Amino acid sequence: MTNLNALKQEVSRILKEKTVSMVMGFKDGSLPMRTQPAFFTSPSEVKHLIANGFCTNNLATLLKQFKPDKKIGIICRGCESSAIRALIIEHQINRENLYLIGIPCAGLLDWKEISRSFTQEITSVSEEGNQVTITFSGGERSLLRSDYLHRACKQCQHPNPVGTDIVIGELSPEPEHSIMDELAGKSADERYEFFKEEAERCIRCYACREACPMCYCAECFVDHITPRWCESMISKGGTHAWHIIRAFHQTGRCVGCGACERACPMEIKMEYITDRLNEDMRSLYGFEVGESDTDLPPFATFQLDEKNRFLK
Amino acid sequence: MNRKPRIFLFQCQYCLASSDDQDWVENSLPENIKLIKTPCSGRISPLFILNAVQSGAEGVLVSGCMPEKCHYKSGNLGARRQLDEFARQLEYLGLDEGRIRFIWMDLDERGKIQKELDLFEQELAKLGLKQKFVATFDKEKIGFES
Repeated sequence: MTNLNALKQEVSRILKEKTVSMVMGFKDGSLPMRTQPAFFTSPSEVKHLIANGFCTNNLATLLKQFKPDKKIGIICRGCESSAIRALIIEHQINRENLYLIGIPCAGLLDWKEISRSFTQEITSVSEEGNQVTITFSGGERSLLRSDYLHRACKQCQHPNPVGTDIVIGELSPEPEHSIMDELAGKSADERYEFFKEEAERCIRCYACREACPMCYCAECFVDHITPRWCESMISKGGTHAWHIIRAFHQTGRCVGCGACERACPMEIKMEYITDRLNEDMRSLYGFEVGESDTDLPPFATFQLDEKNRFLK
Repeated sequence: MNRKPRIFLFQCQYCLASSDDQDWVENSLPENIKLIKTPCSGRISPLFILNAVQSGAEGVLVSGCMPEKCHYKSGNLGARRQLDEFARQLEYLGLDEGRIRFIWMDLDERGKIQKELDLFEQELAKLGLKQKFVATFDKEKIGFES
């Protein structure tokens, strides 16, 4: 688990020594179980810093809002550090201007799921090891952390940060490689039904795009007007196209943080597609996101002698 | 209803080395096949294929040049990786296997495009004309008769 005091000391130190001009982390939100990204610019603000299982955003997403020459410190977990690595390979951010403070991650908790299992109003939450204690009006109840993990965190491959300047806290053991495949063992018709069911609930708010660290295009394909690539309405064609192409653009780039699913107001499952595509990239080209800081994503490169289904 | 399967043919403008074949593709394609000519197979975005599928095509055929024969040196190599994976993704989401197909043309393969289209049409007829993912089908816009 994260040592919060040591983390605060380190953040205060780099701000005091002017190694960076700003540190990105989290602070409490206005409701229990909600947090918000925070930008610390002076050591006196650091007392608000938190690091718990409800820090749902991926902080690497926010890096694109700042100029690349700004010195930024960022508190990163496994998925944030992989995203930063991938963004560096794609020349989106400058590693020299970043100070990465790595913290091990025990997985994020699904606050929607927790609040659904209580009828009373939850007033406060505390975490201790594998126990989450929920205080609500009229009592207190302990939950098992592992029962309320987010889908992405249940199958997390890299809870430990990679390529950081400093790591605070004890690293967790690397889990075995496994993916949850919602569509495994289903026939083509059943798979299509599942996809339709998920995609057609979409209200096209693009919260998934805004939450994603790897979605940084200046103009997204759905925003193109001439030519209009796909319908921008909540129609069958539009929602299908958005979910198919969004996932395809993440092939070999998605870090599997699950920020898109956590941001979705309709609770649409999306990761099952990108997981599968990443799995293909792993088996076909031996590529894994965040594994190295030099390997280009598979679609940015090619080899002359490779074979596939249509060219044997 | 005994129509033929609707096919979109995406063709790299350099892949047919024989001018007779190119002429046939441009002027005498059967009515159920629509030609979309692109500068290179690397220009074919997955969105083109998705739009073709959504607008009612039973099959999509992409024809490009063999490796090392690309007019733009490497456009076909990038396309090969991406479009193959895109076909895999659609199959994963429920599209029947074999509705999207690629052919890579060599310089000396005269008449291959006709044979491949025939074969593709027969296989599509076996798969049936019921199509998933069809969303918008504006007959006039696409120009199919039936």
